[in-house]
Amino acid sequence: MTSLRIRQLVAASLVLAVFIALCGAGLEQAFRSSALQAQRSKLEGMVFALLAAAESNQNGDLSIPAPRLPDPRLANPQSGLQAAIVDERGGLIWGSPSLADDWPLPAPMDVGVWDFEDKDGWFSLSFGLRWLNSNDAPRRYTLQVLEDDSGFLQQLRIFRRTLWSWLGGAALTLLLVQTLVLRWSLRPLRKLTHELQGVESGRQAQIDGLYPIELMPLTQALNSMIQVDRNQQTRYRNALGDLAHSLKTPLAILHGLMEQENVDAGLRERLREPVGSIQKITDYQLRKAATAGRRTLSAPLALHPLVDKIINALNKVYAGKGVKFGNGIPSDLQIRADEGDLYELFGNLLDNAAKWCRHQVRVVAAHQGNRVHLLVEDDGAGFPEDAEALLERGVRADNQTPGQGIGLAAAMEIVNAYEGTLTLGESPLGGARVSVIL
Amino acid sequence: MRVLIIEDDTTLRAHVAAVLAEEGFAVDNAAEGEQGLYMATEYALDLAIVDLGLPRKSGIDVIRGVRKAGLKYPILILTARDGWQNKVEGLEAGADDYLVKPFHKEELLARARALLRRSGGWAQPKMVSGPIVVDTRSKSVSVDRKPVELTSYEYRVLEYLLTHAGKVISKTELTEHLYTEDEERDSNVIEVFIKRLRTKLDPDGSLSPITTLRGQGYRWDLSHQ
Repeated sequence: MTSLRIRQLVAASLVLAVFIALCGAGLEQAFRSSALQAQRSKLEGMVFALLAAAESNQNGDLSIPAPRLPDPRLANPQSGLQAAIVDERGGLIWGSPSLADDWPLPAPMDVGVWDFEDKDGWFSLSFGLRWLNSNDAPRRYTLQVLEDDSGFLQQLRIFRRTLWSWLGGAALTLLLVQTLVLRWSLRPLRKLTHELQGVESGRQAQIDGLYPIELMPLTQALNSMIQVDRNQQTRYRNALGDLAHSLKTPLAILHGLMEQENVDAGLRERLREPVGSIQKITDYQLRKAATAGRRTLSAPLALHPLVDKIINALNKVYAGKGVKFGNGIPSDLQIRADEGDLYELFGNLLDNAAKWCRHQVRVVAAHQGNRVHLLVEDDGAGFPEDAEALLERGVRADNQTPGQGIGLAAAMEIVNAYEGTLTLGESPLGGARVSVIL
Repeated sequence: MRVLIIEDDTTLRAHVAAVLAEEGFAVDNAAEGEQGLYMATEYALDLAIVDLGLPRKSGIDVIRGVRKAGLKYPILILTARDGWQNKVEGLEAGADDYLVKPFHKEELLARARALLRRSGGWAQPKMVSGPIVVDTRSKSVSVDRKPVELTSYEYRVLEYLLTHAGKVISKTELTEHLYTEDEERDSNVIEVFIKRLRTKLDPDGSLSPITTLRGQGYRWDLSHQ
């Protein structure tokens, strides 16, 4: 029962089945009682027709002469219609020619009383009456008419077949309509799921589609949640920036004080290590805390303009050196990562490359299936042989050597936060090449 | 060379000011953004050092204000926010280089000198003009490889003229770039410095590196590389 659609369909089918069964049973019952009523009326008509044809015989008893029989079936044995008249003592006075010999005779009944019975495959209607014969002597008789129920049952069977085939057809149609209605009314939900996947995969920044009013609060809440999540990161980063500012300014003062000439050389030496380690730990922890890492709802970012901005900035910093930067990132390449993290990653890698290159730094990027492959290359002297070890070491704050591999270590941390890989190599330009897969 | 420091922390500001003054810069100070922007646009500066986290007006806004006023002197950002996004933002706003706190005094001086050289069109820390060589790192001057002793103010005048070689520099401009707002000025002193420089650099009168343009000012006329 994990699907709304299946739930709805099962519930609808159950309700429909119960409804159709009750409806069918009710209709059948109604038809049956009305058919019984009709049967009784038919037999009553027969009783009156027989009485109309009756006359007194020579014994002064009631009798119906064969030519005056109201229904030809009464004349034929096994026709399924028979009639009998008994006197007040229960003796047979008259029987239709169709009356079977072994037929049990009706019990005598009071005058004016009707008795309708359905027994052993026969409908019987008995009527008690008083008859004045030609001598005006009143006599009491009981007239019974019998008809077998095969006609009635046949009628019932036909009705039942028609009824259930129509009800079944109606149920199927209803289920089909229900399925279609369900598909149609659940379509916004499917669309919403699709859009959320889009947000998650970085295809879109938020949920944009038009939705029914019932879903609007949900989509608005989702959008604001996405927004809050992103703003939170910005606020967090700003708070960290403030913290960095308030920690590092006094550190800079300490540095300045240590460098003053009137400071005792011994004291300066003793201060150098603790101040240095405060600085390293602050740097490392703040940077680590500021790395957002992979988040489900990061907005997709175009990489090309971001790298352009960093290159413009570095162009100023390295204006004296005359470094030529090349941005070979396709303009439609988007990456789902935190903006600050990307600045940090490319800032560090490009700064490093610019520092060590002769004249040229190049960035290229391409999609590799689900991931993005980035290359930062320069034409400098390349990495020293122990660069990989430096990278490993740089990741641990307590072992960091200032100025060596810090930028790379920072880049490495960001790549790790995105579960990517960073490898060092040789560039076709002659220098170092950093290869990052995110 | 005249420098403006905009930094809200008093101790750090005093420290940076002391380091720069020791190096022969004329140093002006501002403790917050509004005042900083006023000084940065009104004074004749050669360099500004701006902290990004300032009260009243952020460092970024100060830099934007300076560039909007059409001023082109170099700006060095001083920042504790070592995130690249901040650096890029600052450089985009018009700064020329950044320095992350905490820093060594050598690094600060190296960046400041590099920016000043770059704005004057000199690529090397050593400025060579004919037989005259000025090393901006050691503040030493030599003529024909013979060292020349200059006073602090004489050196400042020489460095300013050489940095702006080929351009006419008025006495007022020289005064403005040599003294801070708080120092007492006397433009007659400039004439004395020029005269002494001429004697020390060119005792026999064969080079005549500085030309006096009556009513306009002075010009460094020796070829430079």
